[in-house]
Amino acid sequence: MVEEEKERPEEKTGISRRKFTLGVLVASVLGALGSVFTLLKVLSPGKKGGGYVTTIEPGDGLVYAKGSNAGASIQASSMKTGDAVLAYPAGKTSNPANLVQLIRIDEKDFKAPTDIALTDKGFVAYSAICTHLGCTVSWIRNDKALSASYTECFCHNSIFDPARGAKVMGGPAPIPLAQIGVKVKSNGTLVFTSGFKGPVGPQV
Amino acid sequence: MIFKWFNERLEIDKFRAKFLSKTFPTHPTFLLGEMAFFSFVTLVVTGIFLGLLYEPSTKMVALFGAMVPASYASVVKIDLLPMGMIIRRIHHWSAMLMIAAVLAHLTRIYFTSAYRRPREINWFVGLGLWGITMLAAFTGYLLPYSQFSVTATSIAYFISKSVPWVGDWTSRLLFAGEFPSDATVPRFFFMHVMLVPVALLGLISLHMLILVKQKHTEPPSNRWLKESEGGRKLIGIPVWPEQTVVSMSFYLFLLFVVVLIATYIPLNPVETYGPPSPGTPVMRPDWYFLPIYGFLKLIPGDLSFSVPGGKITPETIGGVIFPGFLALVLALIPFLDRAKQDQHYMANPLRRPFMTSFGMAGIVFICMDAVSGYIDVLHIAPAKMAVYVVFATLAAWGVSFGLLRSYNRKRGSDVKT
Ligand code: HEM
Ligand code: FES
Repeated sequence: MVEEEKERPEEKTGISRRKFTLGVLVASVLGALGSVFTLLKVLSPGKKGGGYVTTIEPGDGLVYAKGSNAGASIQASSMKTGDAVLAYPAGKTSNPANLVQLIRIDEKDFKAPTDIALTDKGFVAYSAICTHLGCTVSWIRNDKALSASYTECFCHNSIFDPARGAKVMGGPAPIPLAQIGVKVKSNGTLVFTSGFKGPVGPQV
Repeated sequence: MIFKWFNERLEIDKFRAKFLSKTFPTHPTFLLGEMAFFSFVTLVVTGIFLGLLYEPSTKMVALFGAMVPASYASVVKIDLLPMGMIIRRIHHWSAMLMIAAVLAHLTRIYFTSAYRRPREINWFVGLGLWGITMLAAFTGYLLPYSQFSVTATSIAYFISKSVPWVGDWTSRLLFAGEFPSDATVPRFFFMHVMLVPVALLGLISLHMLILVKQKHTEPPSNRWLKESEGGRKLIGIPVWPEQTVVSMSFYLFLLFVVVLIATYIPLNPVETYGPPSPGTPVMRPDWYFLPIYGFLKLIPGDLSFSVPGGKITPETIGGVIFPGFLALVLALIPFLDRAKQDQHYMANPLRRPFMTSFGMAGIVFICMDAVSGYIDVLHIAPAKMAVYVVFATLAAWGVSFGLLRSYNRKRGSDVKT
């Protein structure tokens, strides 16, 4: 057996067995790497439905986002100055990017850069998704001085001033919450009058 | 009789002579690694029970009249089973114990310089084990799909996505697309119950093989014993039966403590947190992620740099660069503190002022970052807290270095470490 193998003349093919094996090895490793690349691509699907893409359109009514009356239209009369609620556009409540915080502020308190044209009777709305890492913001009401109330994200304590266009007053959030236009309709419910005036969700 | 039957086939005698009689040096701190391993055993056993009942899906199902994700519903149902809640709590408490044990074990290795030649490889394996243990806890945390776990995972998603160049792709690989989506829970489930435990098992085996090959460092007292006798053999107790008995009693004791804690102290009450809903409660991660969480609070929101092809944001700095840097420092330690000869004995930390004070500074730094997670309840401004963190770290370094130096001056340097 051994002799037989020795007899097989390697020079005939011009390629030694060692070289041939090495070539096969390199080729198969390259091939395998190619398929790994494809597999990794399959394993990291692209954007489909996920992510923070808002679908609010002007004319959508505002409904409560949570609580026992979730899904019901928000009545302007139910909110006094200093109140805030989380709201969704009616019929589009399954998209978290649509969540807004509706706040009622004393109209005199609005300061730049709030877009006053997007407010109505003291109602102002901002995206409720923190621009830091995407937690939902909360309303911190100051009963002693209503104008000192503010919006806070409990995750890393970013603070936004809704009277000043949700400017970042503290914490790690990089940019203000995006404002969105609202108005009170004649029947006392609220509707959106615009899209968001800035980026929504974490700025990554 | 039975032993003979097996012995004739498997040659247990030989195995015993070769492996079971190996000497195992003793020191209380050597139990820290075992503690990590035993927690893992408990996690596997309780995890199998949970895995058989858990449903990895975010499909909405009815539970007591409300529509909730199926994963959340299945965990609530586990809690309602006889023994269900206690098993879940044992699982979660063991996870905490495992991480605590890994950290304590790592600290022990550091302060006694057991990472030195020839044990550098096992130091790296150990760091890998730590990383994968954190991954285990992280992937497990999402599974109940409560308001808390979803918020926590969402934060991690945006952190990983914020990394320039690779973040977008790696975050989609890890979370199976953008989070939240229906694909994330199945992927995390498979990672949590399959990939991660198998990786842990593999690395633990490697860790142990290397340990058996290289032998354990010995308590310094063994050196005096041996120098008087002139031998260079390990001093300790044999693996079988002594060490086995010690280990088993230790495990039973640990199990007792964990079950006791799990019985009386609730953990992650998903029923109270509720299924995902709009609105984020005041929340903090489990303690082992607190340093990262606290560090994120300290970074000002406008601290970002543009780099070609992307931007380095505060989230990247706090969530990726900061822990990555700590891991890098740990990984470099065997290269920074090298020894010319093999290290056979535990070093005395009091005799190594530089390394020990460096370690103290590191521990204080990490703990202060964890405290920063509470600046909202402590009413400290982030900038002020950042100053405290830096000050405390430098103080810990300076003071411990000064103390150790003067201690060593007084004692002279008759002992080499
Ligand atoms: C073979 C090993 C393991 C299996 C089969 C397993 C299985 C499971 C399953 C099915 C769940 C979801 C049910 C629930 O949330 O209660 C879960 C949750 C969890 N796992 Fe594991 N696991 C294993 C190992 C680990 C390890 C090594 C760690 C961490 C060091 C860990 C940490 C967690 C955590 C923190 C949770 C959340 C528990 C809670 O809801 O309170 N697991 N695990
Ligand atoms: S997610 Fe809002 S402050 Fe971090």
